[in-house]
Amino acid sequence: MKAVNHKRLADILQEWSKGFKVVAPLKIDDNIRFKEWKEGSEVILNENSNIPPKEIFFPQTEEMYEYSIDKENVEIKEQVPTQEEFIVFGISPCDLKSLEMLDDLFLTKGFVDPYYKAKRDAAIIVAYLCDKPCRTCFCASMGINYQEAKGADIVIFKDGEELAFAAQSPKGEQLLGQVSPLLEEKELKLPAPEEFVLKADVEGLAEKLASMFEHSYWDTAYEKCLNCGACTYLCPTCHCFDINSHNRCKQGFKTRCWDTCMFADYTLMAGGHNPRPTRKERFRNRFLHKLQYFPERYEKTACVGCGRCIKKCPVNVDITAIIAQLKEVDLNG
Amino acid sequence: MRELVDKAKTIAKELLAKGEVDLVMGWEKGTFEDKTSPLFMRKPEDVDKLVINEFCFNSLAPYLLYYKNHQGKIALFVKGCDSRGVVRLIQDEQVKRDKIYLIGVPCTGMMELNHEGQLVDAAKCRGCTHPNPVLYDIILGEEVEAKSPGERFAAVEKETGSAREEVWKAWARNYDKCIRCYACQRICPACNCRECIFVDQGQEWIERRVDETENGAYSLIRAYHIAGRCVECGECERVCPVGLPIMKLNKKIAKDIEELFGPYEAGVDLEDKSPLGHFKYDDPEEFM
Repeated sequence: MKAVNHKRLADILQEWSKGFKVVAPLKIDDNIRFKEWKEGSEVILNENSNIPPKEIFFPQTEEMYEYSIDKENVEIKEQVPTQEEFIVFGISPCDLKSLEMLDDLFLTKGFVDPYYKAKRDAAIIVAYLCDKPCRTCFCASMGINYQEAKGADIVIFKDGEELAFAAQSPKGEQLLGQVSPLLEEKELKLPAPEEFVLKADVEGLAEKLASMFEHSYWDTAYEKCLNCGACTYLCPTCHCFDINSHNRCKQGFKTRCWDTCMFADYTLMAGGHNPRPTRKERFRNRFLHKLQYFPERYEKTACVGCGRCIKKCPVNVDITAIIAQLKEVDLNG
Repeated sequence: MRELVDKAKTIAKELLAKGEVDLVMGWEKGTFEDKTSPLFMRKPEDVDKLVINEFCFNSLAPYLLYYKNHQGKIALFVKGCDSRGVVRLIQDEQVKRDKIYLIGVPCTGMMELNHEGQLVDAAKCRGCTHPNPVLYDIILGEEVEAKSPGERFAAVEKETGSAREEVWKAWARNYDKCIRCYACQRICPACNCRECIFVDQGQEWIERRVDETENGAYSLIRAYHIAGRCVECGECERVCPVGLPIMKLNKKIAKDIEELFGPYEAGVDLEDKSPLGHFKYDDPEEFM
């Protein structure tokens, strides 16, 4: 197995960055964000980034086109979504799985989003297998093995002081070839898998929820939720957006920005009607989307068990607890 | 604080059983031992879940805004800072004093896990001047001493004397991280406008675009809007998912207010008027 001492990781990234832009989970003050790696940047592995790597492919704010009006003429300058090949380094197995769901949304069923596709096609994925789960992790319950990374071009894991590298695609082979003088052949193995503190059982839940839209469970479950957008913005699978204008006299530009079903104006219609008028309907939508609508459309639960929402919810709304409560609801009662 | 839980449960159960209130707001154990979550109790048996400990971070005061049209009386547990939030809501006529029943919790300070996994004094409690509830109908135990009241403005003092450009550079770096989830706004007991420009974004004061300009505008509008009304509970900074030092700005404004108008702490005295909310002939007016 190809390996390098973890202290020499920067040398590998330095080598790769000569040919590619390398995006990695970097320490920025007290945050971990996927940003462009430069010499001296500190890479943090085995810990969730504050904001999931969805922001690489689906940025929170993305300009779509600029426009200007001159008498009768309207000129539109589109932001052509092109992207040179780049490396996404250090993505964890759960976040990698979330990209499959974003792919479903942005690339299938007859709709292809050019902005997302350009970045997704250009990405060479180097995944990092977690050393061990954090206490808020429950990816195993969502069918994810944190010790494998299907779909990654290269997979890395840590054994003692060494980082092991394995190519999983021709592109990965090529990239490893580039740094082969830095790598040594070593016998390395993954640590024994660890138990998770948190668990969730979604077996049969989507079907059950299909008859729970009007259930009294929702009448009180929502009560603590403040309808901020933290859970959805931090969620690697949440993908709602809104298109906004910046108008200044006769010119401006359009951006698409993350939006969230937690906000009151998300479903607010022209004329003032809001089909989700209170916190209850918004709260219910978030969980039904993850646990029922998305599975119905794409046969996947829209949760990868990264635990970011549990860690950061201001009032400790815990999706594993919600799932357990929903499982317990007696539909005949 | 844990020893107060039995008395707390007795009081809550009695209030519900006797029908004196129809809702009690408290806390229950959260995902982990060091987490709690707001609890809404309507029946005496709901009270079994109640916990009182050093992890009851959430102020329950902001929830009162959701029950403005509630017919019955609501009881809620209040630590020192939470009670100041309630006082502010009463002063702003968001809630009527006789519609709420306050169960005071003398607070010995919250504890949180640091990055190394050790339990330490919570950052939000540093410089707390009022650990005991300033307004209550019943109090659970003996009043406690404030631990570090002299450090109320510790977060701001470091910056005093720094060049303006330096200060702005640091804030710009912070605004670059903000994702505008509005957790800081939703959790704030001082944020009680009927129509908030950050809730209904169909206006053009601020755009949804996330960048230094819009994020900076958001942060500054909010800071100025709660000037003189911030009870310094630190909830905004605690819940920020990207760790922005929001309280630094709020403390700076609170300090400026003290320097301009004399000693003042929001929400401490029901009868006290906010220096920015009323007019006096000897108010400083060097900008005129």
